[in-house]
Amino acid sequence: MESASLPLGRRHRGERRRSLLRPLAFMSLPMAILGLFFLAPMLVMLVIALQYGILSGQSGFTLTNFSDVLGDELYREVALTTVQIATAAMVIQLLLAVPLAYVLAFKAGRWEIPLLLFFVLADELNPMVRIYAWRMLLGREGLINSALLDIGLIEQPIDALLFSKFAVIVVLSTSYLTYTVIPIYAAMKAIDTNMFEAARDLGAGWWTTFRRVLLPLIAPGIFVALLLVYIPLFTDFASPALVGGTEGYMLGNAVNDLVLESGDLNGGAAMSMLMLLAAGVFAVIAYRLAKIKQLEQ
Amino acid sequence: MSEPMIVLDRVSRSFGELCAVDDVSLEIGAGEFFSMLGPSGCGKTTTLRLIAGFEEPDVGRVMLAGEDVTLVSPRRRNVNMVFQDYALFPHMSVAENVEFGLRLRRVARDQARERVAEMLTVVQLEGLGQRRPAELSGGQRQRVALARALVNKPAALLLDEPLGALDLKLRREMQLELKRIQKTTGTTFVYVTHDQEEALTMSDRIAVMEGGIVQQLADPRTLYEQPRTAFVAGFIGTSNSIRLEVSRREGELAVMELDQGMRVVAPDPGGSAPRLRITVRPEKIRIGGSSNGAGSRIRGQVVERIYLGSLSQTVVEIATGERLVVHELNDDEAAAVAPGDQVTLSWAERHSLIVDSDDGPQREERS
Ligand SMILES: Nc1ncnc2c1ncn2[C@@H]1O[C@H](COP(=O)(O)OP(=O)(O)OP(=O)(O)O)[C@@H](O)[C@H]1O
Ligand SMILES: [Mg+2]
Repeated sequence: MESASLPLGRRHRGERRRSLLRPLAFMSLPMAILGLFFLAPMLVMLVIALQYGILSGQSGFTLTNFSDVLGDELYREVALTTVQIATAAMVIQLLLAVPLAYVLAFKAGRWEIPLLLFFVLADELNPMVRIYAWRMLLGREGLINSALLDIGLIEQPIDALLFSKFAVIVVLSTSYLTYTVIPIYAAMKAIDTNMFEAARDLGAGWWTTFRRVLLPLIAPGIFVALLLVYIPLFTDFASPALVGGTEGYMLGNAVNDLVLESGDLNGGAAMSMLMLLAAGVFAVIAYRLAKIKQLEQ
Repeated sequence: MSEPMIVLDRVSRSFGELCAVDDVSLEIGAGEFFSMLGPSGCGKTTTLRLIAGFEEPDVGRVMLAGEDVTLVSPRRRNVNMVFQDYALFPHMSVAENVEFGLRLRRVARDQARERVAEMLTVVQLEGLGQRRPAELSGGQRQRVALARALVNKPAALLLDEPLGALDLKLRREMQLELKRIQKTTGTTFVYVTHDQEEALTMSDRIAVMEGGIVQQLADPRTLYEQPRTAFVAGFIGTSNSIRLEVSRREGELAVMELDQGMRVVAPDPGGSAPRLRITVRPEKIRIGGSSNGAGSRIRGQVVERIYLGSLSQTVVEIATGERLVVHELNDDEAAAVAPGDQVTLSWAERHSLIVDSDDGPQREERS
């Protein structure tokens, strides 16, 4: 009996190893592709960020690129502007997205799917086209200024509408709205609407129902939206480049200018790595929060 | 009945063409266990929602404890609802769920805590206050829903098929439990169900509804023994229904003669309807029985006999082609019959219930 059980046990162990290897084998191709196209450039960037620039006349590895970027007063200011703009755009989007998602999820009736499609398609609009459309609206001779002039609300066109922080915030707020609405909408769809009636039955008004029932239940959706949208907002450079002027200059533009204008590839790489790190930290925090909220339910 | 707790006064509610609640009037007494019973879509939930305030009547008035609340928002009505799927707040603990209404009523935190603990004891959930609804069984969730509503001391508790999601055994337990809680708290219960057995065992009075109309409103015994319409007779318990020509009327009795000296005798409903629809409960019919006497006698052929433990069920086809179901206790006197046998069925005249003197269902007459 005992001698028979030994090879049996061995075979089992062999099987287990194979069953562990099988998913790895499955994953190897996607992993290789991921490594090649995603991690490899990042690694190259890291290496560049850690090397002396050609102009410096030195060679070998160094941390000066990082210390230069971190030590520069101007970049710290740009970083602050970037956080301000990204945060403002995020808050505005959340303020828009929650009611929009609410209407979609509970009030739209048979318009639900068409509206949802509209949101998805609106996102398909080429970003350049969208940004230029905003320029036409916000410019000195744009629609908003001429309308305000026409009705006599203002006497001089408002220059600050375009090439300002304000302009960047407006454009960014609309650029990623779809990605803010969809996760919140999904979280709302999972809610049993009887819950709202139950709250009302127990004496809650709309504000209490919103704060104590709806908001906690859609919190995971909000954190997913943060995760999806805040990082692209933080690293965006097309919108600030086209509507930001000097006031709306963001970190993405700084990287762009370092690499393309100053030819400082190493400095640009270092700054990118730092932004990546910040985004990573942010992502971990948002992910944790979403996870906690989900576990609470 | 003293001052009624809830009054519906000629209330109607339509959705488009469909009249979900059609001119319903009823009074529910304080401390009463009142049920609304009827098939799916008959307007039970809508009636309950009219009382809760989630629906507004097109016409009619809703009164609560002597006050007209027809246009009062559900927030401000002193009634609470137990939803069919409980609608517990999944992100709150059991205690937080129960506390929700109290905090909104500005009950001080300490006092609220105390009342929550008390209520959790009443529904036998002591020690589970910190759990989330997802960590409870179906029956326990049901109790939380009950506690969440009852802790507010509502004038009436509205329950919409609260046991619908539970399995049969748990249902039976919770029926007793609900009844106990209703007695302990003295709260008026308005209970919606489509399970007639549930309604019969729990209720003080039952409104049997169909098509938005209250067909009959009575205590369980009256509903069973004196159903007013064919619908009620058919919905409450098993019943046999036969339609016969009236041969003659003898004082208080209507007699319907059949071939071979057979006849059905029933209390005369008055009027001069040529045909009557008569209902007989299966347990009131005897197989065999005396061939002479005052009651009904009718011949037929046994088509089926089923053993049901304490009962035997026999199905007998009579000359008109209608089938009668007979229930007999399985004691020593039970008749030994088999399919194919010719038998005589008999029952006393008072067990012939006239539920209809014409072919359509009667409407509940109103004052
Ligand atoms: N909001 C609504 N809009 C349109 N029709 C409705 C609405 N609510 C109810 N109805 C209709 O009114 C009728 C009565 O509905 P109600 O929910 O009161 O029935 P019920 O007796 O509770 O049935 P069930 O036992 O299936 O719950 C049904 O035909 C239903 O389709
Ligand atoms: Mg219903």
